Amino acid sequence: MPQFTPGKSIVGQNRRKFMDPTKKLEKLRDVAEEDVVRLLGHRAVGEAYKSIHPPIEELEEPDCSVREMVKPTPGAAAGDRIRYVQFTDSMFFAPATPRIRPMMWFNRYRGVDPGVLSGRTIVEARERDVEAIAKEYIDNETFDTARTGLRGRTVHGHSVRLDENGVMFDALRRWARNPNGDIKYVKDMVGGAIDKEVVLGMPLPEDELRKRTTTFRNAQGGTWMEEDDPEVADVISEIHWNRTWGGFQPFIARSAIKGDKKDVGAKFKLYTPRGGVE
Amino acid sequence: MAKIEDKIDLYDDRGKKLLGDVPITALSPLRNPAIKKICGLVARTAAVDLAGLEKRIETGAIAGKQMIIRGKGMDLDIIGKGKEIAAQIKDMLQVEAGDETKADLVGGGKRLKVEVPAARILADYSAARTNVCAALTQVIIDTFGVSMWNAPDIKGAVWGMYPQDPAMTGTVVATLVDVPISNEGPGYTLRNIPVNHIAATVRKRAIPGACLSMILEESACYEMGDALGPFERGHLLDFAYEGLNANNMLYTLIKENGQDGTLGDVVYALVDKAKADGVAKPKSKLGSGYSVFKTDDLQMWNAYASTGMLAAVMVNCAAMRAGQPVPSSIMYFNEMLEHETGLPGVDYGKAQGASVSSSFFSHSIYGGGGPGVFHGNHIVTRHAKGQFVPCFCAAMCIDADTQYFAPARTSGLYGEVLGAIPEFAEPMKAVAEGAKEII
Repeated sequence: MPQFTPGKSIVGQNRRKFMDPTKKLEKLRDVAEEDVVRLLGHRAVGEAYKSIHPPIEELEEPDCSVREMVKPTPGAAAGDRIRYVQFTDSMFFAPATPRIRPMMWFNRYRGVDPGVLSGRTIVEARERDVEAIAKEYIDNETFDTARTGLRGRTVHGHSVRLDENGVMFDALRRWARNPNGDIKYVKDMVGGAIDKEVVLGMPLPEDELRKRTTTFRNAQGGTWMEEDDPEVADVISEIHWNRTWGGFQPFIARSAIKGDKKDVGAKFKLYTPRGGVE
Repeated sequence: MAKIEDKIDLYDDRGKKLLGDVPITALSPLRNPAIKKICGLVARTAAVDLAGLEKRIETGAIAGKQMIIRGKGMDLDIIGKGKEIAAQIKDMLQVEAGDETKADLVGGGKRLKVEVPAARILADYSAARTNVCAALTQVIIDTFGVSMWNAPDIKGAVWGMYPQDPAMTGTVVATLVDVPISNEGPGYTLRNIPVNHIAATVRKRAIPGACLSMILEESACYEMGDALGPFERGHLLDFAYEGLNANNMLYTLIKENGQDGTLGDVVYALVDKAKADGVAKPKSKLGSGYSVFKTDDLQMWNAYASTGMLAAVMVNCAAMRAGQPVPSSIMYFNEMLEHETGLPGVDYGKAQGASVSSSFFSHSIYGGGGPGVFHGNHIVTRHAKGQFVPCFCAAMCIDADTQYFAPARTSGLYGEVLGAIPEFAEPMKAVAEGAKEII
């Protein structure tokens, strides 16, 4: 049974929950499949999937044992185009983080190509596979309607202060609020027009976000990794030390290196006060 | 210095045992006859595009398609006289009668494969390219009686933009290795071969493709001074397990995760295998119950990690039938492996580091490249030595032509010419047979 990642805090536990494919992620909403297609903007609702090659069964594939052993995903088998879905996660306690998303997808999906940038996380896959991922990850607990954005371009906002309602900034104003507080998308993922608004629902309450987040954050009462969950930093320190050992002389015993310690982690004094420096 | 005593069993790309109890020293590029032959042929083999040459001379498009001199065309039946041209080139290049010089027509007579004799390479491998260019120029002039006034056009059509451009842009003589001026640094010659050429050579079969790619990468590591003394064992182990399917580990990881496995499943299967084989051992338990692992043999751990990385790339890319996920697969295989165990990723973090910039360069974020034109001779790929580039070759073998830079588009000539040489077409078998000769 894999252990996925260290940490005994709620953040560590949530990270493991997101990464563990045996754990079902809670479904918070049920956006209609055709609305997901609208939000992505790759094809019109009801339009057939475009393909870049014939179905695999009709192709004469090379005589390659790997192709024989590895089953293609439904989208690959059909020869779909490769498309993407991209999320922006606010550092103000969004449930998912850019770092955790690829590890979550790589544990839960086959045939995916995620990419992490400073404030957004893209995943590319065959078109029908992308739609399945988009549907699941707009519906489930990794997506909060206020702190998570579906953004194909002009993605920034992840590190910008929230508005008066606690919603992440979006320069393209893809979202709007209904009088009851529901967040709805009035534009598609890249800010283009859509023929019908898509209501995603109410944001999670602040205390609920703190329970679900995978972000360490020494501010606004968040979990401070170095102080509250040092084992995470200890494992990073161990990896760093092992990498350095390998970069120097991988054929000697680690204990032969001057300064090697038997225990895990590095002790250091924290100069930052709790809550950070404004 | 401790003697290298590790032994492995060699298996082919279908999990069939080729040779048992092989000392890894028999896989060294300095000793294994097949690897020596492959590297020698890489340096000595040139492919001449006779059809292309004929067309250039006919249309006046002398040094490539944008350099047309109108009214300069000559009608020379180069393909028609292919046999004569080949015989004259061979005669001119050979040093001793009966030496290894070859000049054979391939591709229905449209192309010529030339093997320059080793005796012509005194210090610089460029002798293969320069001598073929010079011989071809002379033979065309002789065969067709080209006058002094037209001879410079023949020279331009054969040599391309040389000497204005030392990289010889537009030449009709292609060699797998590029000219020395294009190398990133000393010893990089064998790393400067785009993976698409290798994928085309092995007819897009992923495991032999990775093997051939790793033969060249690891051989370059020897030439770079990276595989010397106690470091040599690490290179040989990486090569044996990742490139040559030692002990059938690579094949088994793919087979067991092929039908419904994710990249994560390969990571954790590899960790289980390392634990079962005693390569990773528990070190300490932390507060959350998380166990940190240690190893008594870091070079062996790296070989296991390298094998898992290639298997993970193959499983994820083949599920998508696309080459593009190779950098992200490398990155997160290593990230997840490190955070599962506390032990370092492939090449002690360097594979993961190189994958970051590779992601940029392979996804049209920074310029318009693709994994198919990647090789180990580049600032974004060169840091992981040996283990990294074979993953790109495997990914391009698996790609169902989703990439603009597909092997069929970029490397048809290389595939036709080199794929006809048994050591290139079946590198795993060749290395095993080579090992058998010397153990």
